Amino acid sequence: MYPLPYPEPALLQARDGTMSSAHSEQPRTGLETLPGDLIMWVLIVSELLVFGAGLLAFMAMRLTDPVGFAEAQDQLFRTGAALNTLVLLTSGYLAAKALHWRRAGIGLRPQLALIAAALLGVLFLWIKGVEYAHKAAQGITFETHPFFMFYYGLTGFHAAHVVVGVVLLLLVAWRDDPDNIEAAAAFWHMVDLVWVLLFPIVYLLG
Amino acid sequence: MSEKGFAYHQLSRGLRDPLSLAWIVLLALSLTSALFTGLGSASDLLTKVTGLMVLGLALLKARVILARYLGLAAAPGWLNGGISVLVLWALIVAGLYLI
Repeated sequence: MYPLPYPEPALLQARDGTMSSAHSEQPRTGLETLPGDLIMWVLIVSELLVFGAGLLAFMAMRLTDPVGFAEAQDQLFRTGAALNTLVLLTSGYLAAKALHWRRAGIGLRPQLALIAAALLGVLFLWIKGVEYAHKAAQGITFETHPFFMFYYGLTGFHAAHVVVGVVLLLLVAWRDDPDNIEAAAAFWHMVDLVWVLLFPIVYLLG
Repeated sequence: MSEKGFAYHQLSRGLRDPLSLAWIVLLALSLTSALFTGLGSASDLLTKVTGLMVLGLALLKARVILARYLGLAAAPGWLNGGISVLVLWALIVAGLYLI
């Protein structure tokens, strides 16, 4: 008999009589250390790459007309966007706490936190809607200036993610399995993360 | 417990909870970012410097979100990898901003 290329795993007998390998006792390594589902991380990284590339394209396009980009940027509703940052950060906090409370088995608090997080998402969309309506009233469209093509494209794509996130948060408030909450909260934090990087570049870097 | 004592108790409890602390830090970084933005229109140089500071603060916020909200604090290798990619990306953004 040839020797095994690796040590033979010791078999352990559990209380219910089933046998398990000693490998299950080893510390997690590599991809296993990531919290939550791997597929959610694949989605998060993909989305970050898309937004990252879009923001780099925005910065590169800015080089073609820095003065025009700065003038266009001055027409944005910065206070509303800054307020939206606080709204999303607070919403993300509530989603993270919901998972924490659900795992701790604390009554209705997780559902309430998820609903509050979703409502803050709706508030974000409402402020964004006011901003878009204001731009429309000024006659500012995609075609006004290349800046606004990127502005509407990037913030609109992000707002679409907020809509999906709000629906997910409400769904997991209803079906409040910890794994479901973890996946929805991870998506919501990705939306949060994208906004934190998008906001200074589109609204502030003049 | 008096009202003041209760408020102190709640605050100290919040500061011991990593998630609540992360939220407070994120709000503080956002307010600092708003303050920097208000400063930066006096001259071109000041505008560029404050722009870079705002970008740096955004990176700090991204780190807190990755570490605490997304739970990567429990996987330091992944956290450092993610932050390294973000820093590289921010350096390209900063380069394009300064040209």
